[in-house]
Amino acid sequence: MTDEVLLEVRELSKSFGALRATDGVTFDVRKGETHAFIGPNGAGKTTLISQLAGNLLPDTGRILFAGEDITALPAPKRARRGLARSFQITSIYPEFTALQNVALAVQAHSGSSFRFWGDARKDRTLTEPARQVLEDVGLGERTDVLAANLAHGEHRQLEVAMALATRPRLLLLDEPMAGMGAEESQRMIALLSSLKRRQTIILVEHDMDAVFRLADRISVLVYGRIIATGAPDEVRTNPEVRAAYLGEDS
Amino acid sequence: MRRYLFWVVLTLALAALPVWAQATGNTFYIELVRRMMIFAIGAISLNLILGYGGLVSFGHAAFLGTGGYAVGVLAFYGIFDGWLQWGTAIFGSALVALFIGAVSIRTSGIYFIMITLAFSQMLYYLGISIEEYGGDDGIRLKARSQFPLVDLTDAVQFYYVVLALMLACALIVHRIVHSRFGMVLRAAKSNEARTRAIGFSPYAYRLAAFVIAGAMGGLAGALLVNQTNYLTPEFMNWTRSGELMFMVILGGMGTSAGPVVGAFALLILEDVLAGMTEYFLVILGPLLVLSVIFFRRGLAGIFSRHD
Amino acid sequence: MSAALVFEQMLNGVQLGVMLFLLAAGLTLVLGIMNIVNLAHGSLYMIGAYFAITVGQWSGSFLLGVLAGLAGTLLVGMVVELVVLRALYDRDHLDQVLATFGLILFFNELVAILWGRFALFASLPTYLQGHVEFAGIIYPLFRLVIILVGLAVAVLLWYVVTRTRLGMLIRAGASNRTMVSALGINIRMLYTVVFGFGAALAGLAGLMAGQIYTVQPGMGEMILIQAFVVIVIGGIGSIRGALVGALIVGVVDTLARAFLKPLLTLALTPGAADTASPAIASMLIYLLMALVLALRPAGLFPARGG
Repeated sequence: MTDEVLLEVRELSKSFGALRATDGVTFDVRKGETHAFIGPNGAGKTTLISQLAGNLLPDTGRILFAGEDITALPAPKRARRGLARSFQITSIYPEFTALQNVALAVQAHSGSSFRFWGDARKDRTLTEPARQVLEDVGLGERTDVLAANLAHGEHRQLEVAMALATRPRLLLLDEPMAGMGAEESQRMIALLSSLKRRQTIILVEHDMDAVFRLADRISVLVYGRIIATGAPDEVRTNPEVRAAYLGEDS
Repeated sequence: MRRYLFWVVLTLALAALPVWAQATGNTFYIELVRRMMIFAIGAISLNLILGYGGLVSFGHAAFLGTGGYAVGVLAFYGIFDGWLQWGTAIFGSALVALFIGAVSIRTSGIYFIMITLAFSQMLYYLGISIEEYGGDDGIRLKARSQFPLVDLTDAVQFYYVVLALMLACALIVHRIVHSRFGMVLRAAKSNEARTRAIGFSPYAYRLAAFVIAGAMGGLAGALLVNQTNYLTPEFMNWTRSGELMFMVILGGMGTSAGPVVGAFALLILEDVLAGMTEYFLVILGPLLVLSVIFFRRGLAGIFSRHD
Repeated sequence: MSAALVFEQMLNGVQLGVMLFLLAAGLTLVLGIMNIVNLAHGSLYMIGAYFAITVGQWSGSFLLGVLAGLAGTLLVGMVVELVVLRALYDRDHLDQVLATFGLILFFNELVAILWGRFALFASLPTYLQGHVEFAGIIYPLFRLVIILVGLAVAVLLWYVVTRTRLGMLIRAGASNRTMVSALGINIRMLYTVVFGFGAALAGLAGLMAGQIYTVQPGMGEMILIQAFVVIVIGGIGSIRGALVGALIVGVVDTLARAFLKPLLTLALTPGAADTASPAIASMLIYLLMALVLALRPAGLFPARGG
């Protein structure tokens, strides 16, 4: 974790009618940091990720990515600037193979896609990086399996792979371990651990084991507001946090 | 492997047909099958945006109509040069597709269906309102398009031209859908949110596909007006759009053989039923309803898996 | 081009608008609440006209014809819903479009078999014939009746939608269907009522149209597509949008057809104006739709919240 700030979020707010889903959220993420968001269900974590990724427009507030104001920038443009996202509910291409899924993500960041004749399946500038990423996440043996036929845990790995394949500067991971069993979770934690050194990561997770092992800093979100930010030990012992969240769980 | 087999068998069979027809004195089959191949081109073009792109365009017949009118109107003014006529048909349809697509593709779902339908109706009414070119009665084509090396008034030569074009169009669409461009188009159909999340904005790709499909539809229209020797706004009637959609669906969406199989199947079915009664639509209608309810995946699933 | 003529054409425009509203209201409700696109809606319109004319002539009573038109449409609508639409609730719009397209072919041909392909002619009862004089014009009584009936239905619909429990469910269902069924409301019942409403409105429009427009197989589709334009302009699921859109489309279309030629002759040669004006007039409402879409992709009064 360096001191260089990659993402600045200032007073971000989003309401749905009378419901304040995001309430004046302000935080920084530094380059190389793994910053986790935790909070009870309904705290507004996915709403926050959606606003950061560009799927939802905030009512007020600003988002600055590497100094550029991206608050109103549409999702595809954010992705091209290096902001990659994985989805809480698996969102892949079921009828394509795992390789094709990742190759598409590679394609989005390697030159023009307005090429009408050359066979993309044989394009090594796409398939080689895709294979490498699949290898890195542990799906090296499953490249030619149709995504629909992958196991749930492998879907979650594929989600991460697709985000990685876009050569991101910032990874937004929305509950990457959702629905995973114990063994699969350990493998995912190992994978994310290996990414820590090279990536800046915003991680939303319920799995406290993962959060405390991976995060450099943790922000606690309750009713759309951040009630605490700090190193894992600080957050773990913070009385407000215990009352609002950890107390119920542990 | 099965896919290649299908195309080889199909090409051989279609190439042999005129020979057989002339030998057995059944020359009307040449006209009949030629017409089916022309509609197959229309279905191939629609399959690009509907089957692979997921754009439910209910106005595709408008492009056939535009192509037909380009040829018919030029002929009306004594311009018979095939290159000029067909070039105008293709580019004219592409331009119309650009305008319609630019407005429509910003919408989605049911809006898109209704809007494409409305725009094609607009062109239909436009065709009807221009008395010069026959209004709703239409006009005879003065002469078929003229090309240096082939004579389209010769039924067999025209047949082979259409066959060659149909195969070419099928090949073009096949290459497109496996290219980088095609992958984005198919990805956007499969999962739009994911496609945006990795960095693609589907709009430009969809519009480009729409224009390509429109241009190819224009070619089909140019062939159709030569086939029928008659120019009529009925080419653009929305029921023709529905027919084209059925050809794509019945044949199997998003497969390369589907539109050809579907076009042939539907037209053969129509001809068989029409032979039985003038009111054949009262049978065809329910058959179509049943096919949608029970038989969604289409016929070409037998011939080729997902490309 | 006198003021009286313009006024008369405006009334014609309102009359067309009111017909379109009756058709569009049913369509937009069914689309907004049941999320079903039913192309055969135009067939219900056609059936209303045919039943009304046939029974009216056979019985000698116009009113009996009206009842037959409404009842017949409702009955056919129910059968269609039961036999075909039920199988399509969970399918995507493409499937619904294709299946109901097959229904159109069927109904048009069935009508041609039973009544022939040529136009049928209706005759109004004496008490509805003739003209009324007001505001300096002489206007056909029946067209005025249509306008009044249409506006009455609009008021009725407004009342039901804004002041009754059923209307509340309709509005809730239009903006969030899953929520309504999650609240335990009997969705099936709601669907049946809404669909019946829509069918009856289509039949009413049809039986009134049958008295003044051409009655022949395929008559439903021409007005159906105009109804689509109305819905796109007005916004799916919105009755208010359907009314505003219908009046706009009806008036614009009618005025254009009536006055574009004289207007254009001022600017162009008579020959050019002669060819251009019917062409432009026929395209105008679609261009209008394109314009609305460019500015408001979800229509003027979108009901869908999300």
